[in-house]
Amino acid sequence: MADSEKPWTAFYGPSVRAEIGKPKFRTLGGFISETAEAFGDLPAFTTCLPNGMNGTLTFRQADEMSDALAVYLREVAGLKTGDRVAIQIPNCLAYPVMAMAIFKAGCVLVNVNPLYTAEEMAKQFADAEPTAILTADMFADKLVEAMQGHPIPNVIVTRVAEFMPALPKWIVGLVQKYWDKSGKPITHAHVRLPDAIAAGREKRDQLLNAIAEYRSDVAPDDVACLQYTGGTTGVSKGAMLTHTNLLMNMEQTMELINTLEKGKEVALTALPLYHVFAFTVNFLGFYSIGARNILIPNPRPLTSMKRAFENYKITWISGVNTLFNGLCNEIWFTDSPPKNLKFASAGGMALQGAVAARWEEVTGKPVVEGYGLTESSPVLTFNPIGKSRPNSIGVPVPSTDVRCVDEDGADVPIGDSGELIAKGPQIMKGYWKKPEETEKTIQNGWLLTGDIAVMEPDGYFRIVDRKKDMILVSGFNVYPNEIEDLLAAHPAVNEVAVIGVPDPASGEVVKAFITKQDDGLSVDAVRKYCKEHLTGYKVPKMVEFRDELPKSNVGKILRKDLRAEEMAKTNVKEQA
Amino acid sequence: MVGAFEQAILALMIFVIMLGMGASLTPRDFYLALRRPYGLAIGVISQYGFMPFIGFLLITLLPLPEAIAIGVLIMACMPGGTTSNIFTYFSKGNLALSVLMTVTSTVFGVLLIPIILVVYSAALDLEIPRENIIATLVLLLVPVAIGMVMRKLNANVGAVTEFFGSLLALFFIVFLMVSWVPRNWQFLMTTTSATYVAAIGLGLFGITIGYLFARALKLHPRNARTVALETGIQNGPLAIAIIAFTFAGTEAQSYMAVPVLYSLFIVIVSTLVTLVFRRANTAAEQAMPDGLL
Repeated sequence: MADSEKPWTAFYGPSVRAEIGKPKFRTLGGFISETAEAFGDLPAFTTCLPNGMNGTLTFRQADEMSDALAVYLREVAGLKTGDRVAIQIPNCLAYPVMAMAIFKAGCVLVNVNPLYTAEEMAKQFADAEPTAILTADMFADKLVEAMQGHPIPNVIVTRVAEFMPALPKWIVGLVQKYWDKSGKPITHAHVRLPDAIAAGREKRDQLLNAIAEYRSDVAPDDVACLQYTGGTTGVSKGAMLTHTNLLMNMEQTMELINTLEKGKEVALTALPLYHVFAFTVNFLGFYSIGARNILIPNPRPLTSMKRAFENYKITWISGVNTLFNGLCNEIWFTDSPPKNLKFASAGGMALQGAVAARWEEVTGKPVVEGYGLTESSPVLTFNPIGKSRPNSIGVPVPSTDVRCVDEDGADVPIGDSGELIAKGPQIMKGYWKKPEETEKTIQNGWLLTGDIAVMEPDGYFRIVDRKKDMILVSGFNVYPNEIEDLLAAHPAVNEVAVIGVPDPASGEVVKAFITKQDDGLSVDAVRKYCKEHLTGYKVPKMVEFRDELPKSNVGKILRKDLRAEEMAKTNVKEQA
Repeated sequence: MVGAFEQAILALMIFVIMLGMGASLTPRDFYLALRRPYGLAIGVISQYGFMPFIGFLLITLLPLPEAIAIGVLIMACMPGGTTSNIFTYFSKGNLALSVLMTVTSTVFGVLLIPIILVVYSAALDLEIPRENIIATLVLLLVPVAIGMVMRKLNANVGAVTEFFGSLLALFFIVFLMVSWVPRNWQFLMTTTSATYVAAIGLGLFGITIGYLFARALKLHPRNARTVALETGIQNGPLAIAIIAFTFAGTEAQSYMAVPVLYSLFIVIVSTLVTLVFRRANTAAEQAMPDGLL
């Protein structure tokens, strides 16, 4: 495609490749080993607990351990190329070791949310049919219940303090056992992670070429990850992300931030690694440049991250709007923001303009917003460093084509809103065992995102809203994002969600749910403020104050839950 | 009432506890507290403005024998105790502010304590043993500095030291309880209720007024809780040491009654207050969605 059709390439830095022919590495296993070779004894991963206790693995150590664990998976556990292996642990050193081992063994990684209930886990297990799982002692009790539908033959158990020095590990163990009682006894047959690694090491010493052989069995287009997502239809399904998908997306993203210094960056990973954004950008992307990843097992409450900010020279933070907003409300954070920070990147949900502005005011560094879906590994667009625009998702990453189309799939005029569709090497192979869902989502090679966007004449994109979140007030389109952005900028508002609720007069009316920053805020004040800034039909008819807003596992505010609550109320009224 | 061995044990324990506290601090914490001297000034005012005044009121309003009254006044004029740091730590207050306030009030104490004592009791001709104040300062600062260096050198060593320091702090409180109460049972039984009211009231009113004052000045609740504890919790061991070194025999024993009773009850009062503060602190944490885990 010629540059004229991709006007956004004008915003790439001079050293940024507009097209990345094919990934530098053939498979993720090769990428991991060769990168480890390059950065050797530099720290790669550090777990930092709320009290400051920590453990670190160097690139060499993580590489060696994951080699041994890969051999264990293949030779001792008896797994084959393409077998699914689940990981269900919070951010800690065991995560990268296991994920790397799965790729090296030619198996498929299935990320499972650690907070899932046994029922949700059972559903995912039944669909993905993993033959091995890495779980943490604190979640082991749910596992037995969840495995009743689909038994998993190989259970490997780890702990948050895994691979930490002996004394802190012992103390954390004591605290887990006697204080927070999070260390649960495990009744099911299992192997401890260090034992699995030891057993793998023994085998590896007999089979010297094992890792190379597993690797040659893997083709670049083989599935590397089954990444589960609710998608646009709400049914949970596994996006099949291939080695090429992930490697390309990592390169596409890192290409736009190629001013980072190899071997010198420190990334704070507070987002869970099971989330595709943290997985591709923090885990793979920062690993690729030899950065140190500070893994936060649990950023709740936010003060749990205080020690990480004090003890490490954080240069990069990835997060969601909720995290940035939360940090800007923490006095310890605003009092002494990270000095070495270069950038923060936001994804996973819309970054509100007010939050971005406040973040920049506090830290002196911009937060750049990216955009993508699980189905696109995930990054599709990103704000070029130094040319970041507020309320914009930036420009497509290299080798990616993005358009806005109408209902019939025809391009809308520039500046008009239409559904955003995308094409590129990061688009998934399809949904696991769901060909009809795949057909609905990928048409002629284009991924239909279900998001309504506008392309600016120069090639920047702006998300207007989710297709399904749009509110129709007397025939006028109202995009909740616009009203949320405005309200979020009000000093007395902490968080806000806007939805449409059915109304006999106008079809739908706008309703705002607000958590207050300042208790003095009244409904009238909110409406008056909106009236000053918005056309009449956009002003929320209803305002409800809440102590908390429903949120997803990564902190995304769930409008659909609020809608469901409102629908339930309306139904009750109708019945009465 | 307080033996040399007991004092040595107490000193050693305070040393280790302060080491652990140092390990929880970075120079940035002090820098930030100094950059906002407002909180610090409020602390000094409540420490040397309110506390002696509360002591004065208690003496005026309660039927106290003269010896007990002298004890109350000495106790009320003391700087902040290291115990306040412990309770601030457990109540998740602003530890840097607490340590800084303890240090400042101790330093200012050299000048302010004699002045206040003179103002409140022209009749009292007390010498402040400087060497004890300096000893307290050293005791306070040396381990804090060592702890900070330890953390800087190795975050794990710092975190482990902090952990054991806080365990010992807990033990220290228990130690005070079990070692003093049984041995002074007889004394406790024969003391008048007015003395109890004075000994308990000093800390309790100090914490309350310190908190209200800090809140009235719109200090962040976390800092207000810190100022409250810092105000109400006085340096009991220093008072005991000052009396022990300044007076002799039965005179010293009777002057010491209030400092000992105060030290005992402040542990109980502060523990209760800490529980309340901890709850307030947890309630004030931002609610973060589950899955940020």
